[in-house]
Amino acid sequence: MSKPNAIQLTGVSKTFDGFKALADADFTAKWGEVHALLGENGAGKSSLMNIVAGLYGPEGGSLFIDDNPVKLRGPKEAAKLGIGMVHQHFKLVAPFTVAENILLNLGHIQTSGLYRERLRRVSEDIRTMVDRIGFNIDPDTPIHRLSIAEQQRVEILKVLLAGAKVLILDEPTAVLTEEEAESLLTTVQGFAREGAAVILVTHKMNDVLRYADQVTIMRGGRTVTSLRPDSVSVDELVRLTVGESTTHTDQPSAERTPGEPYLRVSDLTSTAGRRALNGLDLTLNRGEIYGIAGVGGNGQSELANALMGIPEPVQGDMEIIGGGDLAELDAAQRRALGIASIPADRYGSALAGPLSIADNFALGDIHSGRYGPFWYLKTRAIEADATKAVHQFDVQGVRSLKQKAALLSGGNAQKLVIAREFSRPPRLVFAHSPSRGLDVKATEAVRERLRAARNDGAAVLLISEDLDEVMAMADRIGVMSAGRIVAEFSRPADRQAIGQAMVNHV
Amino acid sequence: MSELALRRPLMNRRYTLEVRQQMAWPWQALILTGSLIMGLLISGAILVWAGVPAGELLNEFVFLTLFDAQSLRAVLFQASPLIMVGLAGCLAFRARFWNLGLEGQMIFGAIGATAITLWEIGSPAMRLPLMVIAAMVCGLLWSVAPVLLRLKLQVNEIVSTLMLNYIAINFLLHLMYGAWKDPKDAFPYSPKYESFELLPDLANGLSLSFPIAIGTALLVLWFVSISRGGLYLRFVDKSPQVARSVGVPVARTILLAVLFSGALAGLAGLMIAAGQEGRLTHSFYVGYGFSGILIAFLARNNPIAATCAALLIATLFVAGRSLQVFYQIPFAMVQLIQAVLVICVASSDFFIRHRIRRVQMGD
Repeated sequence: MSKPNAIQLTGVSKTFDGFKALADADFTAKWGEVHALLGENGAGKSSLMNIVAGLYGPEGGSLFIDDNPVKLRGPKEAAKLGIGMVHQHFKLVAPFTVAENILLNLGHIQTSGLYRERLRRVSEDIRTMVDRIGFNIDPDTPIHRLSIAEQQRVEILKVLLAGAKVLILDEPTAVLTEEEAESLLTTVQGFAREGAAVILVTHKMNDVLRYADQVTIMRGGRTVTSLRPDSVSVDELVRLTVGESTTHTDQPSAERTPGEPYLRVSDLTSTAGRRALNGLDLTLNRGEIYGIAGVGGNGQSELANALMGIPEPVQGDMEIIGGGDLAELDAAQRRALGIASIPADRYGSALAGPLSIADNFALGDIHSGRYGPFWYLKTRAIEADATKAVHQFDVQGVRSLKQKAALLSGGNAQKLVIAREFSRPPRLVFAHSPSRGLDVKATEAVRERLRAARNDGAAVLLISEDLDEVMAMADRIGVMSAGRIVAEFSRPADRQAIGQAMVNHV
Repeated sequence: MSELALRRPLMNRRYTLEVRQQMAWPWQALILTGSLIMGLLISGAILVWAGVPAGELLNEFVFLTLFDAQSLRAVLFQASPLIMVGLAGCLAFRARFWNLGLEGQMIFGAIGATAITLWEIGSPAMRLPLMVIAAMVCGLLWSVAPVLLRLKLQVNEIVSTLMLNYIAINFLLHLMYGAWKDPKDAFPYSPKYESFELLPDLANGLSLSFPIAIGTALLVLWFVSISRGGLYLRFVDKSPQVARSVGVPVARTILLAVLFSGALAGLAGLMIAAGQEGRLTHSFYVGYGFSGILIAFLARNNPIAATCAALLIATLFVAGRSLQVFYQIPFAMVQLIQAVLVICVASSDFFIRHRIRRVQMGD
C-alpha cells in the first residue's frame, strides 16, 4: 500500500521438456525493498527470475513492470526496461578489462563515438559509480586478475551502468565468504534504500532474516506465500520452505539392523579451489541406504566424483573395509569388488550418447574377460547379456542394441546405467540424484532397484538434493553443509530438524 | 539484424538452419559421394583451364590409368604406402590425437630399415623381415615422445609432432650428406639395397607391398571394430569425458593407438624405400605425411574408406604424372586437386550436421 509495485508476475507457468518448472506462480516485488525469493533447489526460483529478465518466455500468465503489462522478447528488452540480473555463473570475458566488459554490455545504449572515446567515458562512469557505492574496482584491470567476489561486483556494476532499477541477484552469496557476503548484501540493501527494487534469489535462511524486507517462498514450481520475515519464526520459515512430508512411503515395518561398516571416509578435503569438501567423515554400513541431504553446492558433486573415481582433487581416506583404498582402485578392481556408480550427469559421465546401447552396456563387465580377451570382443555374449538386462531392468524404447544411447529418454537412460552397473551383484552403490528429471514411474523403478540392492546386503550411498527422496529412501541421513556432514539422523527422522540442519550454516 | 528481418512484412517465409541429431548412413554416404564428385568436377574445370582438352580428361584419368594393366599396377604400387599412412592417420585421429608427424615417423621407419641393410644384420633370408621390424619400431619410437608429453604434461601434440618432422628431415639430410652417403654416387642417396632387401614383386608383377597394405587395413578394421581396444577407442573418440568416468583406460588406449599409428607410418616409409626407390633418398617422403592426414580425413577414420581414398589419391598421382609429361601441367596441380577434394568433403560435413528448413512465419 505504501510503495508501488516494481515487478508483478501472475499465474506464470513454464515447462521444460515435459518437466513443469513453474506452475501458476505469482510474485510481486515493490520499489525500495529487498525481496528475497526463498526455496530449495529446483523450486523454480531461477526459472521465475529468468522470465523477469527476458531469458525465458512464460507459457501462461502475465508480467507487469511498474504496473504496465509487458511482453519481453529478449534480455535486451528487459534491460531497456531497467531490469538487471546477475547470474550465478558470471558472464564475463576473462582477458578483457572491467571497462571493456562493461562497454560490451552497453552496446544498445552508447553506440556513438569512437571506441577509445567510449571506453574512456565508460571508465569515468565506472569510477563515479564505484566511488558512490564503495566497490573497490579499477576499470582497467583484466577480469582474470580479479577474485570471484570482485568479478561479482563487476557483474553488478555491469547491470547498474546499463541503467538497472530492478536488480536481481541469483544466489549471490553462494560463492562468497562470510565477510564478502555481508558487505555485498549491505551494499544492495543501500540500493533499495535509494529506491531501487532488489530481488535476492537464495536458499540461505540467514540472508533472508538479516537483509530482506519481504520474502516469497517457492516450492515445486509454485509460490507458496509471501510475507515479512520478521513476522514469522525461523521454524515456520523452514517448514514453509521444505514443506510437509508429502511422501509416506516404505517405512519398513521391521526395524532394520544395520550391517557391518563397509566404507569409511575420513577427513576428505578438497585440495584445489575453494574448499568444496572440508573434512568430511562418514561411515557406510552393509545393508543400509545412507542418504546425504543438503542444499546443492555444499560439496555433494565433489563427494560424488571422489567416490565414483571421477578425477577430483581431494585428500583424505576412503577405505573399503577389507578392500583397500577406494582412490587406489582402477576400473577393473572396482568392478571386481562390486562397486556400482550412478552419477548425476547421465550423458556427462555415465553413458556415451553417440555410442550404441551394446557398447555402453559392455563396459559393465568387460574387465573380467567375460566378453573375450583384449583383441577380440564376443559381440554375441555382449548382446545376449544386454538383451537380458534390458528386459530385466525394463529399459524401454530399445529398438535395437545398435541404437545410439542418446536416443533413450532420461528414465530409460538411467535404467540402462543401472542395468550396466548392476550386471554384477553390487556390494557398494554410489547414486547421485538418481531420479533427477525422471517421471514418477521411472523414479519408483530406480528407487526399487536401490532398495533391492540394499536388501541383498549392499551398502548404498544416496546423494540427493531432493529431501523427499532422501526421506523416502534412507535408513540413515547425513546432512551435508559447507563440505562436511554436520548432522546425522536415523529413521524415523524429523523433517523439520533435517531442514534446520540444512539451512543453518555453521 | 535478425530482428529487422523478422519485422519485414513481406518476409513471411525464411530459411532456418537446424542442428541435426543424426543422419542415416546411406544419406551420409550419398552426401559424401556427391561432394567428392563435386570436387572432381571442380578439379576437372581447373585442369581444362590449365590447358588439358576437356574431352581428354576422362580418358587420361579413367581409361588410361585404371583400364591399362601397367598403369593400374602403377596405381596399386603408388597406393600401398598411401594406404599405410592413411591407416596410421585413422588410428591416431580416432584416439583424438592429431598426429601431424606421420612424415617424421615414415622417415624414421625408412632410416631404421636402411640401418639394417647398411650394418648387414641377419642372414639374407632374414634381412627383409628384420627391416620390417626395424621400420615399425623406429616409426613407433618417433611417436613415443609426443604421446607421452601429451599424456603426462598435456603438451599439445599438434605442435610437437609437426616439429619432430623437421628434426627427422634434417637428421635424414645429415645422414644422406654424411655417414650414409653412397660413395659411388654424387647424389645424397644411401647405397642401393641388395636384391634380397627389396620388397619382391608377386607373379603378376604386383608389388608385395599392396597385399601387405590390404592385410593391414583388415587388421586395423578388426582392431577398431571387434576388439576391446576398439571399444575403448570408440569411447575415447566419441565421449572422452564419459570414457574417463566409466572406467575406460583412456591414457593406455591413446598410447596404444598412437604407437600403432607410428609403427604403420614407419612401415609406409619402408614400402617407399624398399619398394619404390630401392635406397634411402633425401626426398622420398615428400608429401606423404600430409596425404596420410588427408586420406584419414576423407575416410572419416574408417580403414576401408581410407583404402579407397588412398587408391583415389594414388590415381591422381599417376594421372598427374602423365599430365605432366603430355600437357606440361606442373605436378603441383595434383596437390591442388587434393586440396579441392578436401575442401569439398569438409564442407559436406555442414550438410550432414545441419538441416536447412523453410519455415512459415506465424504472426
